[in-house]
Amino acid sequence: MSDTISRRNFLKLSGLSAAAAVLTGCGPAARYVTRRPYYEMPEYAVLGESTYFATTCIECPAGCGLIMRTFEGRAIKAEGNPAHPVNHGKLCSRGLTGVQGLYNPDRIQRPGKRARRGNPTLEPLDWDTALGVVREALNGAGAGVAFYLGLAPDHLYDLVLELTQAIGAPPPVRFGALGMFEARATLVEAVRQVFGEARFPYFDLAGADVVVSFGANFLETWLSPVAYTRGFSQFRRTDGKKRGYLISFEARRSLTSGVADEWLPVPPGTEGQVALALGSLLQSRGWKVPLGAGQVDVEASAAAAGISMERLEQLADRIARAEHPLFLPGGQALAHAGGLVAARNILLLNLAAGNMGRPGGIFLSPSRPDSGSLRDVQALIEQMRAGKVETLFIHGANPVFELPPALGFTEALANVPRVISFASFPDETALQSDYVLPDHTPLESWGYQRTLAGSDRMIFSSLQPVVVPLYDTRATADVLLSAGKLPYNDEVTFLQSKLATLLNEPGVTVEATEIATFWARYLQAGGWWTQQAGLTTPTNQPDLQVEMAQGAAAPEGQFRLITYPTHLGDGSGANRPWLQETPSPSTTVMWNTWVEVHPQLAEKLGLKDDDVVRVTSPSGSIEAVVYLFPAIRPDTVAIPFGQGHTALGRWAEGRGANPAVLLGAQLNEAGDLAYGDVLVTLSPTGRRRPLSRLESRAGVYGEH
Amino acid sequence: MAEQQETRERWGMVVDLDLCTGCNACVTACAMENNIPWVGEEEAGYGRNMFWIRVQRTWEGEYPEVSPAYQPVMCQQCGRAPCEPVCPVFATVHSEEEQINLQVYNRCIGTRYCANNCPYTARSFNWYDYTYQIPAPMNYYLNPNVTVRRRGVMEKCTFCVQRIRAGQEQAKAAGRTLQDGEVIPACAQACPADAIIFGDLSDPESRVSKAARSQRGTTLLEELGTQPKVTYLKGGGYYGG
Repeated sequence: MSDTISRRNFLKLSGLSAAAAVLTGCGPAARYVTRRPYYEMPEYAVLGESTYFATTCIECPAGCGLIMRTFEGRAIKAEGNPAHPVNHGKLCSRGLTGVQGLYNPDRIQRPGKRARRGNPTLEPLDWDTALGVVREALNGAGAGVAFYLGLAPDHLYDLVLELTQAIGAPPPVRFGALGMFEARATLVEAVRQVFGEARFPYFDLAGADVVVSFGANFLETWLSPVAYTRGFSQFRRTDGKKRGYLISFEARRSLTSGVADEWLPVPPGTEGQVALALGSLLQSRGWKVPLGAGQVDVEASAAAAGISMERLEQLADRIARAEHPLFLPGGQALAHAGGLVAARNILLLNLAAGNMGRPGGIFLSPSRPDSGSLRDVQALIEQMRAGKVETLFIHGANPVFELPPALGFTEALANVPRVISFASFPDETALQSDYVLPDHTPLESWGYQRTLAGSDRMIFSSLQPVVVPLYDTRATADVLLSAGKLPYNDEVTFLQSKLATLLNEPGVTVEATEIATFWARYLQAGGWWTQQAGLTTPTNQPDLQVEMAQGAAAPEGQFRLITYPTHLGDGSGANRPWLQETPSPSTTVMWNTWVEVHPQLAEKLGLKDDDVVRVTSPSGSIEAVVYLFPAIRPDTVAIPFGQGHTALGRWAEGRGANPAVLLGAQLNEAGDLAYGDVLVTLSPTGRRRPLSRLESRAGVYGEH
Repeated sequence: MAEQQETRERWGMVVDLDLCTGCNACVTACAMENNIPWVGEEEAGYGRNMFWIRVQRTWEGEYPEVSPAYQPVMCQQCGRAPCEPVCPVFATVHSEEEQINLQVYNRCIGTRYCANNCPYTARSFNWYDYTYQIPAPMNYYLNPNVTVRRRGVMEKCTFCVQRIRAGQEQAKAAGRTLQDGEVIPACAQACPADAIIFGDLSDPESRVSKAARSQRGTTLLEELGTQPKVTYLKGGGYYGG
């Protein structure tokens, strides 16, 4: 502009604008600027109203109720559903980052076919062709079709179960890493042996006054962490009652053990023996513990666990004095060769305490759990290896990443002619599939989750889409129903036919006499549940006795390995930047895998913080960065699970290491992985790689 | 028009350390509510995380009696805030309406004096345009009620001022005063152990006032005379009631 204006004209213009300024200056209030705080800036004036939808979080099988805040068709923030009996308005880190899954830029956006397995490029496929592939697969020999499903959502499991029955295929195998780490099958089998019914136990933490946890990480991932954290909060409160006292037996001071009033670092695998010794001591204090015929050698058990007799007696005194003592059998205690015995011993202590169906005691969930054990997965792998599986459908699980490679899933996959994945993200299993027919992500989906493990009542927690599906994805239920093997038009028809059994029930949140009203209210409320808490009271089976469980010390130069899940869950959370950036609570490390080594052991091995070590087990080896952790047994090391992805998008890939490589294929009696029995060696690589951590490095554990 | 009754809440917070499990759900909740960007592994290694709330973990004792103590720390919303007098451009100011310490992003010129003077290291600085690096469509979830900050700007916990404003406006529209528990910041809303209590300290009957009067109550670095509005209830044993 200045090119075309002469100096004379410029001066004229300047004069004019100066006059104008003076003129307007006389106008009302124009020269006075009102300073407003930043939250009232013009661009801050947000027009429009948020819309809130009730749905269910299926990041883990617990099934917490969500209220999603949406704005202009976008999901903004996950909040807890205050009315939901599982989480009462609260959420964990995984649930909160749900929107980072929905809006993840690495999502699979349309169906595709892979020219060669392992090749990351997917050739686009239209849905008609894709549905044709599914139809053809389901029309084929029924027995040659296999389904591998994750622990959520439940409605899809119900649908696939019906489908497999209709086509004569074997029932779906349902398995997930979180179930593996909490040794679900062992827990349920122990409940069956002790109480006669294969059910999930529900422990009423809120009503207990002394809780004895045997490796139960109930504040992190165990069964229903948000529900149990709330229970813990009630247990600790002192409003009109005693403050709850938590005793924890665990080799590593986890988040849960971290808040324990007493932490006893027993060697992994000796938890069953400790329970036995406690049982014996409690018997001498008047408890009716069904001890076996053989003499219980309390001193030997205490010695094996590294606890002094004096300390054990004190613990027994404290438990005997308690009004509502409660004993929790956690995954770390159960994932051993003798895990089933340990689980039974711990449950029998509950029995001796008279905990069945009383406040602060143990209850049973009303429905049978439908997840399988690793033995079921092993049977499927056998079938695959033998070439008996023609088509394998995989949904909601990432077995190539989650399962220990020693089981040989990936190799067996090569013998399956057609692998169809429903993955929403390009994970390791989708990479080994021929077809990827992406499902909607949970926030775009219909469905329900029965919450069996973390609630004091029966719940059908509802899922509904909170936003319009972003991409050309399709609900897996609709894809499977399109083959015409079941009498439902679509997913919603299926859901309504399942929910129709709940009509006309009294004393529930959604009372309706016909399905349309029921459906509307059910979606609005976030699900269906009874107004009153109500679970089954367990009854004990006679003739069951506490047994000696075996736990062996690690040989010289080898260390017991603890693998534990974190807020990355089953590993699928690794592609969410905010889960990566949320620090690990006890180490404050972000974005990587570390191996926790006690400073004493590190000194012995000549290891320092941030040294890269090779961790080797009989099954394989990984490299991880040393973190000097003061609250772990010096003969034990620990590695968090969830990182070490070779696929799954930009934030997950090539980050850290996957400890599943180290876990063998050794199963316990109940068919769960005995991952707690793994022995490893550590060897320095001579390299260093600083971990990103929130804590200061200076002076935490001496020099560096 | 009659003069509207001026409401002067004095917002405050209580964190019960006996209930806090250290799970970090508050950290994630805060990030998702307040458009806090992640910085990635390398930047995090330099200590450039943008946390408005962090959970401090300290160890006490020697193995096997070693025990962690967790403490969520956010801006303590000081009554006499050391960050305020040092800002040359009045970007960090006390809001008269909410009686909290706010950062005016478009005034901030990035001297970082305020962060240097904050005894709680509660402030975080945008060293780069972290938020603008969020790849589409992940920016879809950004909260429209919270400003997205650019490079060179200081930021910190606001007690979720957007929620305070929304609550006040809702109450005003309904012609009533704010109820106790009506305004909850994202951290307190998510906290699975319900260890964070938020509310109006000027109301002696509010839940937060009652909790703040507990014998277990203590404030961080109170000897500095900063008059923090966050009270911590000591944990780990049988303190007081």
